[in-house]
Amino acid sequence: MSTITITMNGQKVSAQPGQSILRAAQAAGIDIPTLCHHPALAPIGACRVCLVEVAGQRTLQPACTFPVADRMEIQTESPKVVRARKFVLDLIFSERNHFCMTCEMSGGCELQDLGYRYGLDHWAYPTYTQRFPVDASPPHHLLDHNRCVLCRRCLRACAELVANHTLDLRQRGANTMVTADMDAPLGESTCVNCGTCLNVCPTGALVDKRSAFMARPPDVERVATVCSQCSLGCGVNVVMHRGHVLRLESLWDAPVSGGLLCRTGRFEALADGRPRLLEPVRKSKGEHVPISWEAALAAASQRLGATAPSRLGVFTTTRLTNEAMGLLHAIFVRHLKAAHRGASHSAAPGMTACRCGKLADIADSDLVLLAGSDPAQDQPVASFLIKRALDRGTRLVTVESRPTELTAFAETAFPPQQISKAVALARAAEKPVVIYGADLTPTEATALRKLEAKAVFIPLHPGVNTLTAETFELNGKMDAAACDTLFIAAGEENGTIEAVTRKAGPKAFVIVQASYGSALADRADLVLPMATWLERSGTFTNTEGTVHRAHAALTPSGQSRPDWDILGRLAERLGLDATIAKDAILTCRV
Amino acid sequence: MGNVLIATDWLAACAGCHMSLLDLDERLVELLYHVTFTSSPVTDLKHPPESGVTVGILTGAISNTHNIEVARRMRSRCTYLVAVGDCATFGGIVGARNLVGTQAALRRAYLETESTVDGQIPDSPELGRPLDFVTGVGDVVKVDIFLPGCPPRPDDLHYVFAEVLSGRIPVMLPRENFRYD
Repeated sequence: MSTITITMNGQKVSAQPGQSILRAAQAAGIDIPTLCHHPALAPIGACRVCLVEVAGQRTLQPACTFPVADRMEIQTESPKVVRARKFVLDLIFSERNHFCMTCEMSGGCELQDLGYRYGLDHWAYPTYTQRFPVDASPPHHLLDHNRCVLCRRCLRACAELVANHTLDLRQRGANTMVTADMDAPLGESTCVNCGTCLNVCPTGALVDKRSAFMARPPDVERVATVCSQCSLGCGVNVVMHRGHVLRLESLWDAPVSGGLLCRTGRFEALADGRPRLLEPVRKSKGEHVPISWEAALAAASQRLGATAPSRLGVFTTTRLTNEAMGLLHAIFVRHLKAAHRGASHSAAPGMTACRCGKLADIADSDLVLLAGSDPAQDQPVASFLIKRALDRGTRLVTVESRPTELTAFAETAFPPQQISKAVALARAAEKPVVIYGADLTPTEATALRKLEAKAVFIPLHPGVNTLTAETFELNGKMDAAACDTLFIAAGEENGTIEAVTRKAGPKAFVIVQASYGSALADRADLVLPMATWLERSGTFTNTEGTVHRAHAALTPSGQSRPDWDILGRLAERLGLDATIAKDAILTCRV
Repeated sequence: MGNVLIATDWLAACAGCHMSLLDLDERLVELLYHVTFTSSPVTDLKHPPESGVTVGILTGAISNTHNIEVARRMRSRCTYLVAVGDCATFGGIVGARNLVGTQAALRRAYLETESTVDGQIPDSPELGRPLDFVTGVGDVVKVDIFLPGCPPRPDDLHYVFAEVLSGRIPVMLPRENFRYD
């Protein structure tokens, strides 16, 4: 593409044709203030804070929407521009409640920053008297209309990023309000509580209930990590204040999610009320007695080493890191050759010969064939990506035995017997994408393989690090009743894991490595306390097969330790060569 | 004592801005070589002299009819009026009353508080009448300098004094010399 030259504040600057003045300025390191503009959203020029002087134009123009042209002369901070911006800010401040002193966002508010930048030391217009309601009906966030500047970022995020189209505006002029659906309370609307609007709100209008007023924005620190609630591997920022987690935010530059998170990932991941396991304990005469890590590991290794492979079982949650899975493989598959191996989730059937796509391929497709999977329920961010594509004209065809949330968006929903019709539609499309899950039957899989040459296949594995558990042969035959010794890496898994292990005989020796107390931990003969996902670093292989690095935001509570740390020490106790484990970890990165 | 006369007074205020003024510490001594404080709510003489002062300082919000009188008196007796603090500039904490309404605030404070027995909303004719809406000083009289902050830091007050004593009225406060909370 040819480059054009423009003049900004008397300085010659290169720009791309068609680029907005704002983007050209940002590329040249010239700061133009914005309010309604957000890099992840399409610009709309609503707030007029980015007004600039363009030579030859009758009036000031918004930099976020005005395209550059060759030899254009622009003034970004001339007296005329500054006067106009101050006037715009005076008008914005003249409506609604913009008292910083009682606002949760003070210190991190984009409107406040602009007030400071343009020296707004008082209100130019009489104090505003109209009161607006506060909508606190959603479970995890609230919308205070009194703090709203009507930048429309939230409703654009709801439409452009999440493709949920819940938010809109109602009324006119100064009475304009953000509204959900046909003026429903947010909590009763079609809102999916993904909280993406919280991430874009420039003021304190959209507030996270859990962390509101707990710390001033300048005092918080952020640790970027990977969400461990499903197999997508969305990027997440852990927002903390003095070692306490306040809330989770989406990461705009995350490779898979690009700024999206779902309700589970943003809110519910922090709402775990189960009691933590904080010290290693051993059952002695029916009572749990605290012991040291040394003693716990010694007891575990002794018991594991003394059990015959045919009577040894290992069961794991799919929430463990690649490192921990590699160690489980090294210990139980290679070294102890345990006959019984199981995981909390099974991966979607392998379509090995097929081209495995990335979630980003959904955006480029003209038809999505969804089979044996319910992303709206299990991997919500994937359903956002699908709906986003539908907004741009992509067609959706589903093959399902029961309706899902996405059924309403499907051009046709076929029952499993008619999968050949769906395949025919996909074959007629130009760039079809097949999204499939673990509910796919062998017959359906065979039918879908006919698209091998044409379609991009994207598996949506249930669980979290399910692909790695599969790679490390941790998901095999499991008969808990036939085990004398069971090693259960329960991690943060809830009830699902208990059902499998309930079959264990009363005499079986059960070693549980877990973060939270449960009936399973109560049954255990030996408990190894494990750190939670916020407390451990490591890597994850997501559903597309890409590896993502997680970073610990907190230090482990009590005496708990990261999953790989516990297993590494156990491997050492068992006399394993450290390189075996290291090799195992490296294999999963390929 | 210097020859520039300064008078201060407060409206609906918490006294925090005056405390911030005292927090100038040793710079207050230096300041007194240039100015004379004629009157303030924390000295024996409360009212600004009828003969007038150069600089009048008002802290606190306009919350009742008495506040309007005090603000008008100060305005009529000073050359430059400085509104100090969030209450005087925006209505501040007192302005939080606007979110519920004056009558509701009075009922809550004097009748409905859990510890109140036989409460009564004060209505002596000697008291100022609460206004329906709390505002900053600028809504009632002309203000020459606004200095927001809850309270403004001593450094910010020092900056304003230094400017005024140098014969300058800042059109726009530099970013580092004011804050909203």
